[in-house]
Amino acid sequence: MDAAAIVLSSLSKRFGAVTAVDGIDLVVPRGVTCGFIGPSGAGKTTCIRMIMAILFPDAGSLSVLGRRSALEAKDRIGYLPEERGVYRKMRVMAFLTYIAQLKGVTAAVASTRAAALLERLGVGGIDDQRCEDLSKGMLQRVQFVGAIINEPDLLILDEPFGGLDPVSVRRLKEVIADEHHRGATILFSTHIMAQAEEMCQHVVMIHRGRKVLDEPMAGLRRQFDPRTIRIEPLEAGADLLALGALPCVERVVPTADGCEIRLHAGTDPAAAMRDVVARVPPARVELARVRLEDVFLRLVADDAATDVAARALRADLQGLGPEGAAA
Amino acid sequence: MRRIALVARREFVATISTKGFIVGLLIMPALALAFVLVAPRLMNARSPAVRGEVVVIDPTGAVAAEIVAALDPAAIAERRVENLRRTMANADPALGELAASSEAVAQALGQAPVLRTIDRFGETNLEAARAWLLAESPGEPHLAAIVVHPDAMVRRAGRSEFGAYDVYASRALDDATESVIHESVRQAIVTVRLRASGLDRAALEATMRVARPRAVTVAAGGDQQAGRDFNRMLPFILGLLLFAGVIVSGQTLMTSTIEEKSSRVVEVLLAAVSPFQLMAGKLLGQLAVGLIVLLLYVGVGVVALVSFAMLGLLDPMLILYLVGFFLITYLVFGALMIAIGAAVNQIADAQSLMGPVMLLMVAPYLLAPMVSRAPNAPVAVIASFVPPVNAFVMMTRLASPTPPPAWHVLAAMALGLGAAVGCLWFAAKVFKVGLLMHGTPPNVATLIRWARSA
Repeated sequence: MDAAAIVLSSLSKRFGAVTAVDGIDLVVPRGVTCGFIGPSGAGKTTCIRMIMAILFPDAGSLSVLGRRSALEAKDRIGYLPEERGVYRKMRVMAFLTYIAQLKGVTAAVASTRAAALLERLGVGGIDDQRCEDLSKGMLQRVQFVGAIINEPDLLILDEPFGGLDPVSVRRLKEVIADEHHRGATILFSTHIMAQAEEMCQHVVMIHRGRKVLDEPMAGLRRQFDPRTIRIEPLEAGADLLALGALPCVERVVPTADGCEIRLHAGTDPAAAMRDVVARVPPARVELARVRLEDVFLRLVADDAATDVAARALRADLQGLGPEGAAA
Repeated sequence: MRRIALVARREFVATISTKGFIVGLLIMPALALAFVLVAPRLMNARSPAVRGEVVVIDPTGAVAAEIVAALDPAAIAERRVENLRRTMANADPALGELAASSEAVAQALGQAPVLRTIDRFGETNLEAARAWLLAESPGEPHLAAIVVHPDAMVRRAGRSEFGAYDVYASRALDDATESVIHESVRQAIVTVRLRASGLDRAALEATMRVARPRAVTVAAGGDQQAGRDFNRMLPFILGLLLFAGVIVSGQTLMTSTIEEKSSRVVEVLLAAVSPFQLMAGKLLGQLAVGLIVLLLYVGVGVVALVSFAMLGLLDPMLILYLVGFFLITYLVFGALMIAIGAAVNQIADAQSLMGPVMLLMVAPYLLAPMVSRAPNAPVAVIASFVPPVNAFVMMTRLASPTPPPAWHVLAAMALGLGAAVGCLWFAAKVFKVGLLMHGTPPNVATLIRWARSA
C-alpha cells in the first residue's frame, strides 16, 4: 500500500508518424490531488488512457496502485473520460448500477450511493429518465457519479468541468474535495489553469508529449516568490518613474493604468510596498502572484518547447519571475 | 468472468427489450401465416368475372359450333372442376371433396370468364376481324378473334399434321382468359377430330390416364404420406433457420458495437473491463439472443409438425446438429461483425466492409440447390470442409435422404471451430485497436494491419 499511486517511467506512445507521448517519467504519491495540465494535443489524454490500460505504451513501463497494469486494479480506480458517453436508451439508475457492478459494487449499494450523489450534484430525481433525454450538463454529472460510485482509491478526471455552469462546477469541486479528504489520489487533467491552481497540491505540465514541469504547488509559489508590485496611482499625473530611485527597486515598467515595479532579489516585499505607497498614493496596489496561466501561455507560445526550452523557462521563472508572460 | 457475465446480461436485455427486436422476431412467422392463409383469399375474393365478346371464324364449318359450346361459362366451370379433381386425386380425401364443388374452385382459381361468342361461320376476312377487335364497343368489350385454319379438321395432302388455329387478341384480353380460350378451342377441335375418326373420347382418355402414384415414406412412427415433400423442404428450412439466427445476432452485434463506440460510452466501459472481456460479453449476450430466435422458430416448427402428426419425420439429432453448427457459424460471423463494428464510426461506413461478409453468407444459398440434389457429389463434399460455408452445406447434407459419413460431420465441425478461433483472434485484435479510433473508416488492409500490430 506504500507504493505511489501512479509511476510512469520513460513512457512513450506513437500513432503512426506522430509521437503522442515521448518518454514521460512521473510519480504521483498517494493521497495528493495532482493537476495534469497542458494545451490540447499535448498528450494528456493518451497518457491517461495508458494509465487506464485502455491504450498500451510502445516503450517504458508503468505501475498503478502498486500493480503492473490498471487492468489488475480497475475496481479501485474511478475514471471520467474527456469524451462523455452513456447508453442513450438506458435509464440513469440502470446505467449507474451497471457501471458500479462492473466495478464490483453490489446493485443495492450502488443505487443508494448513486441517489445520494445525484442529489448532491443537483440532479436528484432523474433516476428513471433515459440518458438520451438529459441535457449535456446533466449527463456530465451522471458520468461523474459513475466515476466515483465505487469509492475509488485513484480518481482520474479528464477535463471534468468542461461545459458545466458555475454552480455545477462549484458542486463538483466540493465532491472532488470530499474524495480527496476520503483519501483518494486524484489525477485531474485540465487546460484551465485557474482550476488547477485552486485544487491541486501538485502540478505536472505536458507539452508535445513531454513533461516540462513537475512541481508541488507550494514549491511553485515559493519559487515564484512575489518580487513584482503592481500599482495604479490615485492621481493621474503621479511621477511613477521616480519610484525607480528607491533602493529596493530594480526597474519600473509602465502599464496601461499604472506600472509594475520589479524588486531586487532578497528584498522584503512588505517593506518595499510601504516605501512605494509612501511615495505614490495608490488607487490600487498589489503583490503579483505566480499564475500557472502565465507559465502555460509562455510554454504554449514557445514552439520549440524541448528540454532546453523547459530548462530555460525554469531559469527564467526562478530568476526573473513571471514578468511579461501574458504579453 | 463476473464482468463478462454482466456485459452479456446487459447486451441480451438491451437487445430483446427493444420494440424492433420483438417486431422482427414475430414478423417472419407472421408473414408466413399471412402468405398461407390470407393472401389467396385476398387475391381471389375481389376479382369479378371477366366479360366480353369473342368472334369465331371457321372456314371448315365443322368446329365452330363445338367451340361455341366449349366457351359456354357452364362448360368452362365444369372443365375446371374436372381438371382439379384429377390433380387432387391422390390428395387428402377432404380436399377431393372440396374440389368437387365449383364454388370452391371459383374460390381457389377466381371466377370463370363469361364470354359471348359471335359466329361468323364461313367468314374468312381477317381484316374484318381486326377491325371488329379495334372497334369501340358500347356493350361488352371485344376480346378476341379465333381463326381456325382450313386444314384443322382434314389433313392437307402429303401432311401428317393437322392444321391449327390462331387467336387475335385485343389489348383488353388478360392472360387467364386467354388460356381459358386456348383450352376451350383445343378441347373443341380434339372432340370434333375424334368424332370424325369414329373414336370414343371417354374410352380414349381412360386408356391414356395413369393415376398419380401414392408416395409413402416408411418411418418408425408409422407410414406417412406427404413425407417426401417434407424431406425435400427440410434442408432448406434448416439452412434458413441457421441463416436467420446468425443474421439477427450478427447485425445486432455490429450495430450495438457501433453505438457504443460512437456514443463514446466505450471508454467508460474500458475503464471497468478489458477489451477482451467486453467482446466476450457481447458475443455471449448476442449468442443467447440468437439461440432464442433459433429455438423459437424450431419450436414453432415442431408444434406445426405435431399438429400435422408428422413429428416422426424429424430426426431429433438434426436439431442437435443445427444448434452445434449454429454455434460455430455464429462465432465466425459474430466475430467478423463485431470487428467491423469496432472499426467504423457509423453504420454507413460499415457497408463497404460488410460486402465480403455478406457474400460469405449468401454463398451457401447458391450452393444449396446443388448440394440438396447430389448430397454426396464432389462439390458438396469439398464445400463441407470450407468454413464458414460448410455449416450450411453440412446441415443440407445431414437433412438429405443420404446423410454423410460421421467423419465428414466431425471434420466439418473441427474445421468450423478452427475458423471460429481464427476469426475470434482477428476480431479481438481489431476490437482492441479499433474501439478508440475515430476518423477515416478503415479498409480491410488497415484491419489486417491492426490485427498484426495489436
